[in-house]
Amino acid sequence: METLSHLSLGFGVALTLKNIALCFAGCLVGTLIGVLPGVGPIATISILLPITFGLDPTGALIMLAGIYYGAQYGGSTTAILVNIPGEATSVVTTLDGHQMAKQGRAGVALGTAAIGSFFAGCVATVIIAALGAPLTKMALLFGPAEYFSLMVMGLCFAVVLARGSILKAFCMIMLGLLFSTVGTDLETGQERLTFGVASLSDGIDFSVLAMGVFGFAEVLRNLESPEARDVVKGKIGRLLPGWDDIKQSIAPVLRGTAIGGILGILPGNGAVLGPFASYTMEKKIAKDPSRFGKGAIEGVAGPESANNAGAQTAFIPLLTLGIPPNAVMALMVGAMTIHGIIPGPQVMTRNPELFWGMVASMWIGNLMLLIINLPLVGLWVKLLQVPYRLMFPAILIFCCIGIYSVNNQPLDVAFTALFGLFGYLLIKLGFEPAPMLLGFVLGKLMEEKLRQALIISRGSFMTFVERPISAGLLVVAVLVLAIALLPSISKKREEVFTE
Amino acid sequence: MSLNQIERAQGLRIRSTQDFAGGLFMILLALGAYAFSWDLPAGSLRQLGPGMLPKAFAVICGVLGAILTLTSLRYHGEKLSGWSWKGVFFALGGACLFALTIRGFEIGPVQVPALGLLVAGPLLIFFSGLAADDRKLKELVIFALAMSAGCILLFKYALSLPIPLAPWLLGI
Repeated sequence: METLSHLSLGFGVALTLKNIALCFAGCLVGTLIGVLPGVGPIATISILLPITFGLDPTGALIMLAGIYYGAQYGGSTTAILVNIPGEATSVVTTLDGHQMAKQGRAGVALGTAAIGSFFAGCVATVIIAALGAPLTKMALLFGPAEYFSLMVMGLCFAVVLARGSILKAFCMIMLGLLFSTVGTDLETGQERLTFGVASLSDGIDFSVLAMGVFGFAEVLRNLESPEARDVVKGKIGRLLPGWDDIKQSIAPVLRGTAIGGILGILPGNGAVLGPFASYTMEKKIAKDPSRFGKGAIEGVAGPESANNAGAQTAFIPLLTLGIPPNAVMALMVGAMTIHGIIPGPQVMTRNPELFWGMVASMWIGNLMLLIINLPLVGLWVKLLQVPYRLMFPAILIFCCIGIYSVNNQPLDVAFTALFGLFGYLLIKLGFEPAPMLLGFVLGKLMEEKLRQALIISRGSFMTFVERPISAGLLVVAVLVLAIALLPSISKKREEVFTE
Repeated sequence: MSLNQIERAQGLRIRSTQDFAGGLFMILLALGAYAFSWDLPAGSLRQLGPGMLPKAFAVICGVLGAILTLTSLRYHGEKLSGWSWKGVFFALGGACLFALTIRGFEIGPVQVPALGLLVAGPLLIFFSGLAADDRKLKELVIFALAMSAGCILLFKYALSLPIPLAPWLLGI
């Protein structure tokens, strides 16, 4: 019953006219930018971050959540219509979604994706509401040692679940941690690695790093290869799936929601596995697996539901423990900090309206997406035909104005360009930058908790192993790493990510 | 002799230029970070000093880089591919132009007044637009003006961000 009263508080906040309007605007612009090929959710959120600056924290977070779902859904639209996945999780959607589009069933694919996502979103909202309070209570029992071990475990998961080589993902996490140490030392006030640059004394600005590595560097990457955009030419077809389609997709949607929802809660980007797991499962249990890859509706319904469920339950570690499980959530931490909110268990007790308002707005956002997107598909198709030569200058000016507005510092724009170059170098060297962002955000928190834990334990590292919860988390971390490094598993892992 | 054995018999050589360069890059970054945090006291375990973590992370980065370099000698992988210098020059150059002109700057004898979004916007779009292989100058000029107008309306008026518009002309 507690859950119900919380949800009603949330809906009371989220259903004010202003917040509905913000949620709507967020979903709309999120989809608008997210639909652009080559712009994933991370880039979308970093580009659109500045438009939330003028708002109150609750409104800003509601809008950001809207932008996030919009970006997710926009990514699926691009995957289906153009065969370009905006991010790792929509790779799976391209397999059958684009085939459906080629067969003139683009509308049905989009409709199924939207309805499946909506259903998954509803379930995930309930899960968040139900788990929010108990997990927060648990989080309050956590001391610095437990927090530190939890973050170590999260980073280990992130290494294992990253795309490409484990070693390279490990490199990126450590680089992110290294970057997080730049700036004034919290305890002694000594400047570290700042090279005497005044604007570095507060550390590397989060939005500068994110927009450089995900905004600018992506533009550079896309500029390099001549465009091969395969926009579906024929008609979109009707949007609402027919009775046969619905019958075929109900079970995959249910399974996808369950898989995605559970994986999303894991620290360290579990959400990314959801669509892959769901697709593999549907293919395994299908009567005729050969239909997959040739436009099977189950191959859209399942993974899309898993994707959305995971995208939403990924908020759970962030909102209850204050630990972002993946790069997108790391971005949300950055956004929340700009608005003066430190994510963690205290948010729910201190700002209940903000917490529950955001949870409720997640559900509203999902409904909104269904309402916005189905009629606007025609507009998205038009937008997809805008040539890249015009698209990237538009992306650049959005990034520049955004970065400038964070601190009103022109120098930040130049720094972003520098990080853009750095990000491009990383791409060229085959490093995936997303784990770096996660390491960067967790780094500061880890250092703080590590120091506190060592002070409490009088300098003994044994504290991490002696405390049962902390030891358990570390054991899980080591196990995950060890299993992933086993030759047979690592081969399997490669297959999952290349399929 | 199986293929694997033939491979092994050929001894160590760079089998993945991408991983090799990536490893060296990590080592270089680690050395740089270690050198610059040289003066920072590492402190003791009970009271970690400011230098402890930067140095520790730098060492780990370096070790990982070394492992990556070694694996590139043993296992096949991606090759390095060419750079798009045009993209780097025009796109990033455009962003730097924006940074220089939005509020003006002064470097030695060179002085640029604060030109504001009215000038910096079209300048950025036009200059960066030159990076595209299929650029069309006329289209680009029109797009630069239209897009800047749109951005001014959106950011300056609709969202009222405190970004200078044209201090030299309008005083705001």
